[in-house]
Amino acid sequence: MTDLLETTALGLDGPAVERHGGFTISENADLALASLALRRDGTDPAPFGLTLPGPGGWVQGGGIAAFWTGPGQWMVEAPGGAARDFAGELKSACPDASVTEQTDGWIAFEIQSHAGANAITGLVEKLVNVDTGRICPGFATRTGLEHMSVFVIRRSEENLAVIGMRSAAGTLWHALTHAAARIQEGSA
Amino acid sequence: MLIPHPLLGLRDAQEFTYLGDARLIDRPNGMAENAAEAFHDYVYLRDNPAGVHRELWFHEQGDRSWLIVTRDTTTHEILGAELARDVALTRRGALSEGGAQA
Repeated sequence: MTDLLETTALGLDGPAVERHGGFTISENADLALASLALRRDGTDPAPFGLTLPGPGGWVQGGGIAAFWTGPGQWMVEAPGGAARDFAGELKSACPDASVTEQTDGWIAFEIQSHAGANAITGLVEKLVNVDTGRICPGFATRTGLEHMSVFVIRRSEENLAVIGMRSAAGTLWHALTHAAARIQEGSA
Repeated sequence: MLIPHPLLGLRDAQEFTYLGDARLIDRPNGMAENAAEAFHDYVYLRDNPAGVHRELWFHEQGDRSWLIVTRDTTTHEILGAELARDVALTRRGALSEGGAQA
C-alpha cells in the first residue's frame, strides 16, 4: 500500500503559526465546514440547538458556529471536527435541508490581535473593502481580498478569521502576513 | 460606486458583475406559438435609455444574489436595488392570482 504523508494546505507538516507585529496568524487546520441551504419553502432549522444568524451575522453555541452566506444559506463550522464526518452529522440534525461537505475546499486563518480591537480594524482596512464600522464581533461577510473570494468573520473584539480557497492558501497567507507586518512597520 | 444591497447595505460595485437589462428575467415561453419571434426580441432587442435604467447585477464576491439595480445612465446615480428573486416571485404570484380569477 502506498505510504501517504499528511500535509497542511500550506504544504507543511503541521499548521502554520507566525507572529507579525501585534498579530498572531495561525492556520486552523482542524475546522470542519459544511454548507446548509434551505429547500424551497423550508423553515430555518436549528442545528444542535443553534439559532442561525441573519444577513451579515455569525453566531456560535453548542460546540459549533454558523455564518450567513446568502438568502436561506449558511456555512456551519465545527472547531476540531475536520477529521470526522461533520457534514453527515449536520445532515442528520437538519434532514429537510441541503447539506454539502466544504471542509477540504477552504482554508481558515485565525488572526489574533495583541494590540487591542483597534488593531483588527486597522488590518481589516488594509485587507478588504468593507465598511469597518460594521465589522463588529458577530459579523461575517463574503468579499474580495486581492482578487480572491474570502469570508471575513469577526469572532470577537480581538479575533478575526479569514476563510479562503484552499488552493490559494499560500497566496492568502502571503497577503495576510504582509499586511500584518506592514502595520507593525507603519506604527513603529 | 456603491450599491445599496437590500440585505447587506452599501457594498462596493467591484464586488458585483453586470449582466444587463432587467427585462432578461422575463424569459418567453419556449412552447408558445410565436416562440421564435419572442426569443428573437428577447435575445437581440434592447432599449438603450439615456436616463433611468433597470439592470441586473450579480453579487459575485458577496452573497451571490442577483439584484435589480435602478441606475441613471447619464449620472451613474444608483436610485435603488432589490433582490431579483423577490421581483420574480412577486410577479409570478401576481400572475397566478390573475389566472385564478380568470
